[in-house]
Amino acid sequence: MSNTLLQALLDGIAIGAVYGLIALGLSLQFGVMKIINFAHGAFMMIAMYVALWATQYLNLHLMLVMPFVVVILFVIGFGTQRVLIEPIMRREIAREPISVLIFSAGLWIFLDNLLLVIAGPDYQAPEGDWAYQVIFIGDLVFTYPQVAGLVTSVLVTLGLVVFIRSTRLGRAIRATGQDREAASVMGIDSSTVFQISFAIGLGVLGVAGVLMLGIMPVDPFIGDFYGLLAFVIVVLGGLGSIGGALIGGILVGIIESVGGQLMPVAYAHALIFALFLGVLYFRPSGLFGLEDS
Amino acid sequence: MSLPKTAGYIAIAALILVLPMILGNYLMSIVILALFYGYLALSWNIIGGIAGQLSLGHAAYFGIGAYCSTALLVHFGISPWLGMIAGAALSGVAALVIGLPCFRLRGPYYALATLAAAVILEVLVQNAHVTLGGPRGLNVPLLRDAPLFFQHTGKLFYYVIIVIFVAAALAINHWVISSRFGYYLTAIKNDQEAAAALGVNAQKYKLKAAVLSGVMTGIGGTFYAQYVLYISPHEALGSALSVQIAVLCIIGGRGTVWGPLLGALLLLPAEEIGRWATGGMPGAAMMLYGALVMVVIRFLPGGLVDLPRLLMRSRTTGESGRAV
Repeated sequence: MSNTLLQALLDGIAIGAVYGLIALGLSLQFGVMKIINFAHGAFMMIAMYVALWATQYLNLHLMLVMPFVVVILFVIGFGTQRVLIEPIMRREIAREPISVLIFSAGLWIFLDNLLLVIAGPDYQAPEGDWAYQVIFIGDLVFTYPQVAGLVTSVLVTLGLVVFIRSTRLGRAIRATGQDREAASVMGIDSSTVFQISFAIGLGVLGVAGVLMLGIMPVDPFIGDFYGLLAFVIVVLGGLGSIGGALIGGILVGIIESVGGQLMPVAYAHALIFALFLGVLYFRPSGLFGLEDS
Repeated sequence: MSLPKTAGYIAIAALILVLPMILGNYLMSIVILALFYGYLALSWNIIGGIAGQLSLGHAAYFGIGAYCSTALLVHFGISPWLGMIAGAALSGVAALVIGLPCFRLRGPYYALATLAAAVILEVLVQNAHVTLGGPRGLNVPLLRDAPLFFQHTGKLFYYVIIVIFVAAALAINHWVISSRFGYYLTAIKNDQEAAAALGVNAQKYKLKAAVLSGVMTGIGGTFYAQYVLYISPHEALGSALSVQIAVLCIIGGRGTVWGPLLGALLLLPAEEIGRWATGGMPGAAMMLYGALVMVVIRFLPGGLVDLPRLLMRSRTTGESGRAV
């Protein structure tokens, strides 16, 4: 394989891992609560801004503000689910929670434009050289944020998989996702599970936002594309599958990066969406899906 | 027809006639825009409201209509009226092509699939530089006063056309809802398996509804192109437009005749008022718009059409007033 393609492949894996992390939170929400959350991209954008401001006002290195961002996003997630979304969910009679979908669309528009008002339309990035430092492995170049992104994403994903598999709370989440009524008969309060799932989803988004900020600058509308991409990845990787989200993300990253070498990037994106349609059609439960659609 | 209803229709007709005489250009443009989005919402309603299939890719049909008529005009000098028919036919075909695989999917999966289909179309058009102008879009040639070429310098021309379109869309919606076709669609919406078990061919009726909806939306696309005189992939085929159409219809009350129109008549002027009230600060008006959407869906899940019912219920003694 030629060097440029190899470089593109590894670049794709690196950014794909971060994409997977973005999708992870959505997979949790979609899988457990069965809702389409259009505001997911907007929350990622918020995570990026929080990270940006944290580096500016706390004068810390980007990677060091991560715990701070995660906590803030976790709290926002908890609050959003509890105060805003839950009343709507409770009222809806199962099957298609369309009101939540529309509500999240309104929230998406609101958040995008809130940040436009607060932060202005310009792209912004943290100060300093860290994002441009590179390491060399043979002929291949990797930026620090790429390495950090890959390592952090894998670690977080592993951590979450362990959490979901081994802890009581994790099992409660899985149970609620599989069969809400049966789980509540077993004594699991679905309301609390939803709040925690949503909060975890946003917490993970906090990590992803920090990593993304190392790779690209932020503007109020950056969440639009990546939110949509997250849906693609969730379906590719399989609903509710955390490992699947990471692998789906890496797959998408590779297609984008390698595809971008072989054709105009826009076509690579079209290819991703075409693949998405194909998976939806032939294997709707995704590559690693746990459940039937 | 009952007396209040007849009186209502006469009042509306009178309003429609009087409006262009009393409103200036700026306000007329808002009215036209609101009616236009109402027309789109009414078109979406056929498949999204009555049939209950949450299509989030309707911008595809819109864009096909807009690009078809504009490309035919720009490259071959064909009148957009004819181009509109061609565009509508093409949109109908697209609805069939997209619907065939997508309708096997349910609920959120169908929604995401239609979203993806529209995105693919947007990307493809964005890269068609020679024929379709690429990301810079297409400019409709300025013909000034040319009604035979679907263009005029005055607003009245467009006002009359859009009023006719909206009236037709309302009539179509009413016809569908009160027909056996609409009955089947409602059955499919409520429980597709049960309907199928009773012998309703779900796939066939969903496709019919999709094609009708697509054709209507495509016509809207041509109107937009001829009104604004410029189309681009981002505006005409973007997911933002698809979501907006669905939001307007659902906020107004999906599945009803007047709901989709009400949604547009509320939200479009509200957006404009918001822009005026915030002095044009970028983003402020859309913030209010998003907040309005959230508030309406939170308290009126059935849409704005529920408002009179809700108000009446709170006046009746003994009612708990809880929304069901």
